[in-house]
Amino acid sequence: MLGLILRRLIQLPIILAVIYTLTLTLAWRIPGNPLENPEGRRPAPEVVAAMKAQYRLDSFWSFYWSYLDNASGIKFLRDTLSGRAAEQARAAEAAGLAPPARLVFDLGPSLQYRDQRVNDIIASALPVSMALGATAILIALVLGVVAGVAGAVKPNSFADFLTLAIALIGISLPTFVIGAALLLVFPVLLGWGRIPSWGRPVDLLLPAFTLSLPFAAYIARLTRLGMIEQLQSDYIRTARAKGLSETSVLFKHALKNAFLPVLSYLGPAAAYAMTGSFVVERVFVIPGMGQHFVNAVQNKDLFLIIGVVLIYASMLIIFNLIVDVLYRWADPRIE
Amino acid sequence: MFRLLIPIALLAAAILAIVGADRPTPRADFTFLNRSDVTTLDFQQMSWQQDNRVARIIAEGLVSNDIFSHDFSVLPAAAERWEISPDLRTYTFHLRDTGWSNGTPVRASDFLYAWMRALLPDVGADYINFVQHIKGGRAFSDWRTAAVADFSRQHAASPDPAAAQELWLQTKNKFNQLVSARAVNDRTIVIELERPTPYFLDIVGFVTFFPLCESVVRRYESLDPASGRIKWNPDWTKPPNFITNGPFFVESWRFKRDLRLRRNPYYWNQAAIGIDTISIPTVEDPVSAVMAFETGAVDWVSDVLAPFRTEMVAQKAAFYKEHRAEYESLKAQGLDPVEIDRRLPPDPRKNIHVFPAFGTYFWNFNCSRTLPDGRINPLADPRVRRALTLATDKHAIADGIRRVGENIAPALIPPGSIGQYQSPKGLGFNPDEARRLLAEAGYPGGKGFITLDLLITKDGGHELIAQTLAKDWQRILGINTTISVQEVKVFRERLKNKNYMISRASWFGDYGDPTTFLEINRTGDGNNDRAYSNPEFDALLDKAALESDPTARFRILEDAERLLVEQDLPLLPIFYYVNMYLFDASKLTGISSHPRGIQLLYRADLFNDGKGTDKPLSLPPRKPGEPES
Repeated sequence: MLGLILRRLIQLPIILAVIYTLTLTLAWRIPGNPLENPEGRRPAPEVVAAMKAQYRLDSFWSFYWSYLDNASGIKFLRDTLSGRAAEQARAAEAAGLAPPARLVFDLGPSLQYRDQRVNDIIASALPVSMALGATAILIALVLGVVAGVAGAVKPNSFADFLTLAIALIGISLPTFVIGAALLLVFPVLLGWGRIPSWGRPVDLLLPAFTLSLPFAAYIARLTRLGMIEQLQSDYIRTARAKGLSETSVLFKHALKNAFLPVLSYLGPAAAYAMTGSFVVERVFVIPGMGQHFVNAVQNKDLFLIIGVVLIYASMLIIFNLIVDVLYRWADPRIE
Repeated sequence: MFRLLIPIALLAAAILAIVGADRPTPRADFTFLNRSDVTTLDFQQMSWQQDNRVARIIAEGLVSNDIFSHDFSVLPAAAERWEISPDLRTYTFHLRDTGWSNGTPVRASDFLYAWMRALLPDVGADYINFVQHIKGGRAFSDWRTAAVADFSRQHAASPDPAAAQELWLQTKNKFNQLVSARAVNDRTIVIELERPTPYFLDIVGFVTFFPLCESVVRRYESLDPASGRIKWNPDWTKPPNFITNGPFFVESWRFKRDLRLRRNPYYWNQAAIGIDTISIPTVEDPVSAVMAFETGAVDWVSDVLAPFRTEMVAQKAAFYKEHRAEYESLKAQGLDPVEIDRRLPPDPRKNIHVFPAFGTYFWNFNCSRTLPDGRINPLADPRVRRALTLATDKHAIADGIRRVGENIAPALIPPGSIGQYQSPKGLGFNPDEARRLLAEAGYPGGKGFITLDLLITKDGGHELIAQTLAKDWQRILGINTTISVQEVKVFRERLKNKNYMISRASWFGDYGDPTTFLEINRTGDGNNDRAYSNPEFDALLDKAALESDPTARFRILEDAERLLVEQDLPLLPIFYYVNMYLFDASKLTGISSHPRGIQLLYRADLFNDGKGTDKPLSLPPRKPGEPES
């Protein structure tokens, strides 16, 4: 187990370096000038030239290496070890300047929000998306497992069709429709909840419910399939023959095995839910990561694009690792 | 089973902790939704309307405008008075005794520090050319560009902090040497201009000229030892570091959550303020913005962009119809629309407000001699452009597609937006004349004419407008068209490289002078996407710049605009934009309906909230017979 974790953690920076190279190559090819507004006045040519040089946007390789240097923490280490950082801090203090900001993994400035660092943007947005995503996954687990078990107990019964119908609606109705409808019913018409839906624990319920629906639907279908398969196996017949109660058979024996496919789905699902949903966050006005994925690409905000992609990739890798660990713990047959 | 509950409980606790750390702040005296999130609070870098709007609450330039006057007259602000030399070249400003939000006095040198900053190409001011009206401004920018290039060549491989420091000192000396803006003493600034600029007072009130508290902001300077460039560490615009001289200051800025402003106790004109706190939450979704207003969470929505806004406008018309007699009598008194709404009975339908804006929607014609593929460009012939304009039914677009109460645009500059300026009549809808002109240009009935390509962007409803144009031109002139849809960034590149035939476009004015719309058509201007070049037009602009009599000058500029919209038509004006606001006029005052569209939101006052004078603010009534804007 420890070997697995170690191996994966060593792989992590290598995978991230490859993803960084691919992302930058693609993002660099996005047409247009990130320093120019989409509408209205164009900045003067000398201003554009100076800004390009400042952000190293005039050469791919210069950008590639300087970003890698800053973001990987190598520059931080170098400056600390060579004593340059201390020297700079002293010089700044002597000149009466504010001490220069130092970040271990410096992801650079945002080109669209010029007063913000990508590190600060992610630090302010990621916990929000993670809280929302985790709540949504919890809700999805409860809804999905209950619906899946209910459907599996009597396949092709009315309850089964009902859960299937609800699951289909959950998968096929776009979240912006459900979200807008919930907003209209609860805060606007009934006066429960507020817009923006962020800042109090209760505010989380509507957006988390909206976000959970597609996941719940998927989990319900996975659970149902697994349960039907398990309920036909021999050990269940044995358990029933022993005279165990039906609840005990369903939840203690069948569900434990039927849950494995759900568990392997949960890794990527959690990473996906917790790195933010553009639509849900936009409709409910939640300051999460989702908006940055879309806006950064539209604005060709290179630093922010790479920053959010690297964060998403890291989370995907880490959640998959957690799932693998849980898997071994739940199913000793897996080596 | 119990074992499973522990991680879930831990997870729930973590979620609660994250949510709890972001507790909503109590409701501010005045809450409004900006068009979009602010992109920067650095005055010199600003160009978006949402940024400028916040800047005008927290900071103040030398002069300001009276937003409740029809001519938008210039008012003293940080300067209490000024003198202008008879040749319109030298301006002397006398600062008033007012304070930064940290209590220190505002000095003349604070303005010069900000202007020097704006002139540095390293800072990236979109409006650098505004500050280059000051004599020597351009020379200073050019000197700096060259000096930094030199430095980079020498030190790229061997970074040298001492040399960078030396270059920065040299730059500051160069500014004093080259740029004719001087602080005679702590309270007097003398500016000499490159050439007489009759609208300089309007320009000097623009956000790029807003002062910075030098003693604080200079602490965030950071020099790059490899390139010699200067950067300001972005922490300077974050509270509590961010010191401003306006009626309010930034109390907290929670990125993508809200911006909270508090009254600046050191500001000189406390009597103009009727509120203590302002909150600007971030709501990017247009439907959620309207719902936030409906739940009472916000007092003013600055731009209603929800897809159902056409219905809202129709509802308001129905409301007026129900109260027709009262509405007509109020209107006959020449009252401001906001004042009319305030006096009408309460009704949620009246909360949408449609006011003219300082912008125009039009289409570009590429006027280059040849097309991108090398063929001869028939659009280079002004007769063809005139024919296409005459064959466009603008009413079908404004009233049939847009349906938000925009007026069709016969000319480029929105009527009533600039004092005594009168735009020319422009061309109407005249299919016969259009056909005649096209035949005269050598394409009778569209014979031999190329297929025109209309370039648009994906969102914003341009596709329907393009289809209307295509239909009109096919039906009336026999010209075939195709439509190309592009991403905004690609679209902008193609315009810049003149790699298109006809494209959608728009322009919003920056200051109260016709040149803010006309200069973009000068030969070689950076915003002349049309490649339009007419020496006669350029000469008129030059002539106007030398004219010292304001009335005569406006007549010359009117001639220039006439040349644009009646003869040469490098662009096809379609309609004048409107601002769509959402607020209850019987609860909130201080929002101006003036077409210039600038709001000074520190003037906002809520009725019966126990603060402020509760005196309704609006444009003064127009006398009967006076033209409506």
